[in-house]
Amino acid sequence: MPGGAGQESRTGGNVGLMSLIRALSKELEARSDNSLRALFDARPDLITPPVPDFGALAARASARLSVQRALERLNRPQMQVLETLHLCTNTDTGHSASAAGLRKMIPGSSGAAVERILHTLQDLALVHRADPPHGTPESAAKQRHYLPVGSLKDVVGIYPAGLGRSYTELVRLQPAFAQRVVQLVSELHRSGVAIHDATTPMEAALALQHWTSSPEALNTILSTAPERTTALLARFRNWAMGAVPQAQRKASITTEGSDVGPVDWLLARGLLVPLDAAHVELPHSVGLSLRGGAIINDFTLQPPVPELGRTSAVLRRNAALSAISETLRLMGELLHAVREQPLATLRSGGVGVREMRRLAELLRIDQQQTGLLLELAALAGLIRLDVDSSSWVQPPQLEWLVLPRQEQWLWLVNAWLASERVPSLVGQPINGTRGVPAAHRSASGSTIIALSAEAQRPDAPLVRKRILEILHELTVEAGSADGTAPVLDAAAVLQRAEWAQPRMARRFSSMIRGVLAEAELLGLVGSGALSQLGSALAEDQPEAAIAILGEHLPAALSHVLLQADLTAVAPGYLDPGLTEKLLVMADAEGQGPATIYRFSEGSIKRALDTGYDAAGILEFLRDHSATAVPQPLQYLVEDTSLRHGRLRVGPAASFVHSEDEGALLELLSGPTAAHLKLEKIAPTVLVSSAPPRETAQVLRTLGLSPAVDGADEPVVRLRGTQAAQDAHRPVYTAPRMAPGTEEVEAQLAVLRQGGAAVGHRGASGDHAGETGTQLGLEALQRAIRLKQRISMNVVDGLGNANLETVVPLSVSGGRVRVFDPARETERVLSIHRIIDIEAAEETAPVKDFPA
Amino acid sequence: MNDGPLIVQSDKTILLEVDHELATEARHAIAPFAELERAPEHMHSYRLTPLGLWNARAAGLDAEKVLDTLLKYSRFPVPHSLLIDVEETMSRYGRLRLEKDPQHGLVMRTDDYPVLEEVIRAKKIQPLLGPRIDGETVVVHASQRGQLKQLLLKIGWPAEDLAGYVDGTPHLIALNEDGWKLRPYQQMASDNFWSGGSGVVVLPCGAGKTLVGAAAMATGSTTTLILVTNTVAARQWKDELLKRTSLTEDEIGEYSGAVKEVRPVTIATYQVLTMKRGGLYPHLELVDGNDWGLIIYDEVHLLPAPIFRMTADLQARRRLGLTATLVREDGREGEVFSLIGPKRYDAPWKDIESQGYIAPADCVEVRVDLPKDERVAYAMAEDTDKYRLCATSESKTRVVEQLVSRHAGEQLLVIGQYIDQLDELGERLKAPVIKGDTSVKVRQKLFDAFRAGEIQTLVVSKVANFSIDLPEASVAIQVSGSFGSRQEEAQRLGRLLRPKKDGRSARFYSLVARDTLDQDFAAKRQRFLAEQGYAYRIMDAKDVETAD
Repeated sequence: MPGGAGQESRTGGNVGLMSLIRALSKELEARSDNSLRALFDARPDLITPPVPDFGALAARASARLSVQRALERLNRPQMQVLETLHLCTNTDTGHSASAAGLRKMIPGSSGAAVERILHTLQDLALVHRADPPHGTPESAAKQRHYLPVGSLKDVVGIYPAGLGRSYTELVRLQPAFAQRVVQLVSELHRSGVAIHDATTPMEAALALQHWTSSPEALNTILSTAPERTTALLARFRNWAMGAVPQAQRKASITTEGSDVGPVDWLLARGLLVPLDAAHVELPHSVGLSLRGGAIINDFTLQPPVPELGRTSAVLRRNAALSAISETLRLMGELLHAVREQPLATLRSGGVGVREMRRLAELLRIDQQQTGLLLELAALAGLIRLDVDSSSWVQPPQLEWLVLPRQEQWLWLVNAWLASERVPSLVGQPINGTRGVPAAHRSASGSTIIALSAEAQRPDAPLVRKRILEILHELTVEAGSADGTAPVLDAAAVLQRAEWAQPRMARRFSSMIRGVLAEAELLGLVGSGALSQLGSALAEDQPEAAIAILGEHLPAALSHVLLQADLTAVAPGYLDPGLTEKLLVMADAEGQGPATIYRFSEGSIKRALDTGYDAAGILEFLRDHSATAVPQPLQYLVEDTSLRHGRLRVGPAASFVHSEDEGALLELLSGPTAAHLKLEKIAPTVLVSSAPPRETAQVLRTLGLSPAVDGADEPVVRLRGTQAAQDAHRPVYTAPRMAPGTEEVEAQLAVLRQGGAAVGHRGASGDHAGETGTQLGLEALQRAIRLKQRISMNVVDGLGNANLETVVPLSVSGGRVRVFDPARETERVLSIHRIIDIEAAEETAPVKDFPA
Repeated sequence: MNDGPLIVQSDKTILLEVDHELATEARHAIAPFAELERAPEHMHSYRLTPLGLWNARAAGLDAEKVLDTLLKYSRFPVPHSLLIDVEETMSRYGRLRLEKDPQHGLVMRTDDYPVLEEVIRAKKIQPLLGPRIDGETVVVHASQRGQLKQLLLKIGWPAEDLAGYVDGTPHLIALNEDGWKLRPYQQMASDNFWSGGSGVVVLPCGAGKTLVGAAAMATGSTTTLILVTNTVAARQWKDELLKRTSLTEDEIGEYSGAVKEVRPVTIATYQVLTMKRGGLYPHLELVDGNDWGLIIYDEVHLLPAPIFRMTADLQARRRLGLTATLVREDGREGEVFSLIGPKRYDAPWKDIESQGYIAPADCVEVRVDLPKDERVAYAMAEDTDKYRLCATSESKTRVVEQLVSRHAGEQLLVIGQYIDQLDELGERLKAPVIKGDTSVKVRQKLFDAFRAGEIQTLVVSKVANFSIDLPEASVAIQVSGSFGSRQEEAQRLGRLLRPKKDGRSARFYSLVARDTLDQDFAAKRQRFLAEQGYAYRIMDAKDVETAD
C-alpha cells in the first residue's frame, strides 16, 4: 500500500514482525543445495569470506552493501517489480504483497510475469515469502505473498521507481513545508477548491493526499492549469525531484493573476513541494496519479533494440588490424623513448605537461594519444614507477619486447581488461575531486594528467567486461548479413546497459565513450563495429583471437631498403632488435606501418659515440639491407668517422703505470698476467679489464709490489637496475563474477553441518559475529522507524556495563543518537560501546551486540 | 594479409615499392589522387593532400574508388582515420558549383544550403558575389571566377567549375610529323590535358614539353598565347613550332622587351608582362585584349605573382602549364593548382629514361677542402659573406680545370652563381662566358656555336638555367648555386638530359667546399636529386684524377 507506513497494526505475532533476518535464514536453510549454488553464483559476496551458518548468511544477504551489489545486477523489469514490491509493502509491520497485487500497479505486465520475476528475486534472496496481511480475503490469501529484505529501503533511496515521498513524510521532513502547508490548504479551501480545511500540518498533508489521490481528481485539478504545465510535469515523470530557480518563492492562489506561470501555479497548490532554494519534489500521490495510478508504466520484458548502422566486414577488419599494429608500434617507440630517458613525475604524481609534450614530439603523435598510450603502458606493467628516482622506467628484461606481436597484443588487452586505470580519462576535466586527498590532486588543477591518481576507477574492469558483453550481444542480435557488421555507438550500448543493469547505468554512461575509444585503440572495435577479436574476447576465447591475429599480422622483417637519399626504409614491421640498432645510427621519420630511418652526420656521430666504427656500421647495414649500400651513404659514414673521435674513450677497470717501460713490456708479453687482459695505451701505461684489487693481487704474486691508487673500487650505479620486480605477463581472468566451485562446495558443507563444528571466529550459534551485528542493527533501525524503546547494555569509560532504556532517534557514522526518557535529554552513543540491544516492548531479546 | 606494393602510412603518405611486380599497376591507380613526393631508387613516396583528392574528384574519381584502390594495393591494413579523412575531404568537393545560368550569367549553386550560407558569410568572398537569387543560388561576378575559386579552395569548399571555356578565335594548326613522331607519353599528356580542360603537365627536363604544347595547340586549333621565361626561350619555342607544326613565320609573334608583335600564336615573356610603369602593367592588355583560346605557361613553377593575379581573371580560357618540377621554393604550388588547374599528367623520370627518350644522368658531388688561409677567412667572415666565400673558393678553380681536362672532347658547361668567379674560370679555361649582360644576339651566337660543336666549353651564369636547349652538352660542372635551391638544381641538370647520339650518360659535377655552408646547401640539393631518383655519388677532390 503506497504510503502505508504508520497506519498498519503494530501488534506482534506476525512473521513479518519476527526478525526479517531470521525469516530469511529459515528460508535459506530450507533451500536445496542447487538453489544455494545458484544464489552464491549470483551473489558471490555472500560467501566471501565464508560464513559459519545460515543466520550469518541471511544477515549478510540483508546487509546494505550486499543488497546494493545484488541490485546492480538486476535488469529493468526486475528492478521495476522490486521497487513496486517495496512501495506496496511495509517490512516494519509485515504488510506483504502478492504478484496479483503488484500487477495492478504495473500495467502492461501479466500476473505470471510478475510472479516469475518475484521468484527470481526470491532466488536471489532479495525478497522472501511472508504471510498475507491481516484481513486479506481468503481467496487472495492463498496466493504467495512476499516481503523485500529489510535494507532494501536504504538501498533504493528516497525515490523508489522515481516517485516522490508522500505529503505526510514531506511535512515531517521539510519544516519549511510544514510551516506553510496549513496556510496553503486553507487558502485553497477558501478559494473554492474541493479540499478539506486543516488546522495541523499533518491534517493538511492528509487533505492534500486525498485531494490528489486519483488520476481523475488530478485531471480535474489540472484542467484549469496554465498552458505548459503538462509539459513541465512530464519532466517529473521519471524522477520526482527537479531543479527550479527560486523554488522557495512566494506562490499563493490568492494573489496569483491570470498570467501565472506553471511553476507558480503548481507551487501554490502544493503539487510541487519546495525542498531547498533550487529544488522541488513531486509528491508521491501526484506522481502516482500522473502515471494513471500505476507505479510503473513502461514495463516491458524485451530489451530495446537500437537502430544500428552497418559497416563492411572488410573495413572493420582493416580498421582493427591497423589500429593494433599502430598501437604496438607506438608502444615499442614509447618504450624506446623511456629507455633513453625515464619519464619524470610531478611532485603531486603523474607526468607533467612538459614531459608529455616531449614524448608526443618523439612519437610524432598528439598529446591525447600519448596519454592513452602511456596509461596503457603503465597498466600493462611495461613501465613502472621507480621509487628512488620517482620517474617511470622500463623494467629490465621486459619479456614483452621479445614476444610475437599477437602475444604483445594479448598482453595489453588482458592488462587493460583487468585494470582499474582508465586511460581515456587522461585530459578529461577533473570533477568531484572530493574523495581524493589534496596531495593527489592534479597540479594543473583542471584536467586529469597521465599516470596520476585521478585516472583510477575501481569498477573499470567490471564495466569493460559488461560493455564488451553488450557489444557482443548486440552484434549477434543484429547478425552479419552480406559481409556487413553493425556499427555500435555509445548511445546503443548505453541504451542496452540501461535496460540490462539500470543501477549501473550511470557508471556506464561516464565511461562508455572512453572504453569504446580504448577498445578501438586495441582493435577490439573497428570502424565502429565489434571486431572478430573483440567477439572472441567477449566469448572468453583469447586463443581464437590470437589465431586470427597471427594470420593477419606478418612476421617481423629482418631487412631494410637503403637508398641514395640517405634513408633506410623498413617496409613493414621490423625486428625490434634491428630497430633498436637502427635508431642508434639514424633518426626515424614518418608514421605508419613502414618506418623511414634517415641517416645524417649527427646520427652517424651518435652511432660512433656508442662504440660503432665505420666498418661496423657499414657491415651492419650490408647485413641488413636487401640492396647494396649506396655510395653517398658509405661516403657519409666514412667521412664522418674520419673526423670523429680525436679523443678516444675505452673500457678499463684498472691501470698500471710505471716509469720503467721495460718492466711494463715484460708484463705485457709474459703469460703470467695474461688473464688480466693487459693492453698498452701509452709507453708507460697499461690498462686491464680486471678491477684494481685483482690486478694488484696478480702483480703481487709475480713478486712486484704495486701501490694501489684510490683503493676503493669504483661503484657504478646504473639507473633502473635496482631490485625491481619484473613485469609479469598478465593473465586475464574475468572480473570475479562468480566464486569457484570448490569454494561453493566447501561453503555448502559448512552450512549443512550446522556451522557449530567449524571453528569460525571461535563463535557458535546463530548469534555469532556478523549475524549479531546485523540483528542488532536491524532491531535498532526498526526501533528508530517505529519510535520504540530499547534497552541496551552500554559500556562506560571505566569498562562498567550499564543497562539503559532509551528511544533511538538515528544512527549514522558509528554513532547512535538516543533520547533518554528518564533524564529527558538527547545523547550520542558510540555503537562500539553497545554490548547488546533488546527491544523494550518485545519479548524476544536481541543480544550479543559486539563490544 | 595482402601482398600489395603500397604501404599506406598514417601520416598520409603512401610508399610504393618500386621493385614489386604490381608496382606499375599500383602507380597508375594512385596517380590520379596522390602526389609523387619523392622517387628514390626503391621506395617512392606519394602524399595525399586535400588538393590532390579534390583534383581527383574533379577528374571524376569518387571517394569509394580511392578507398578501394588503397585497400586493394596496400600491403598492410590502412589506418582507419586516413580512410575517414579521405572520404570526408572528398565529400567537400562539388558541394558548390559554378554554372552558367541563361538568365543571370555565372552563378554559384549548391544543394547544401548551410555550405552556401557559410561561404557567403566569409569576409573575403562576400565582395565577389552578386545578388542572391534563391536559397541555393547566388550570382558571381564573371571577372572574379578565378579569385572566387582560389578563396573557396582556401576555406575548404572547392567549387566544381562547370561554366566551361570560351573557344577563342579559331586558327588552324597542325602537327607536321615528317621524320619524327609524337612520343606516346607526349600524346597522352596532350590528350589528358584536353579532356580535363585545364591543368599542368609535369615532364622531366629534356622530355619534350614543347611538343606537348604543340600537340595541345594542334588539338585546339585556336589562337594561342605562350608565356615563357625569357627571350632565348621564346626564340627556341618559335624555332620548334616552325619545325614541328604547320605554323609559318608570319603566324608566330614575339612579344618581348625588344619586339612587340601580336599574331595568332604569340610568345610573350613573363618579364614584359610583369613590367610595371606608373603602378600599372601596360602589357597585360595583351592577355586581356585578345580572344585567346589557349594559354600555355612554360616553366609554370616560376610563374611570378602578378601573373598569378592575371591568371585569376582568365578562368574562362583553357590553360596549360608545363614544368619539370612542381617544387616551388616559395611553397605556392597550391596556387598553381587552383588557378591553372590540377596536374593532368606526370611521368616519372625513370620511365622516360628507360624508354630512351632522355639520357641517363650521373651526378657527382666533389668535396673540395678549403686551403688554410681561406678557412680562416671563412671563419672570420660575416654571416652574409660566408656562402659567397666558400662557394667561390680558389681551390674549386683547380678542380674545374682537372675535370675539364678529363672530359676533353666532350661538350661541357661550367655553371655558377657569382660573376667574378665565372669570369675567372672563363679566363683560365679560355672559354666564353655568358651572363646577364651578354646580349641576346651574342648569346644566340654562342649557343649556336656550342650546338655545332665549334665551342666545346661554355661558362654560364644562371641565365642559362631554363629553357635553353643544348642537346649535345654532356658534362656540367656546377661551381656555385643559389644557396639550396632545389628547382635550380633540377633545371641545371635538365640541360644535360637530351638524349645523346651515342647513348652516353650525362655527367653532372657539383663542387662543394667541405665543412662550410656550401656543404649544407649542397646536402639539401643533393637530397632533392636523390629523391627524384637521380643516381649520385660523392668523391673527394683528391680522387678526381684517379676516378673514372
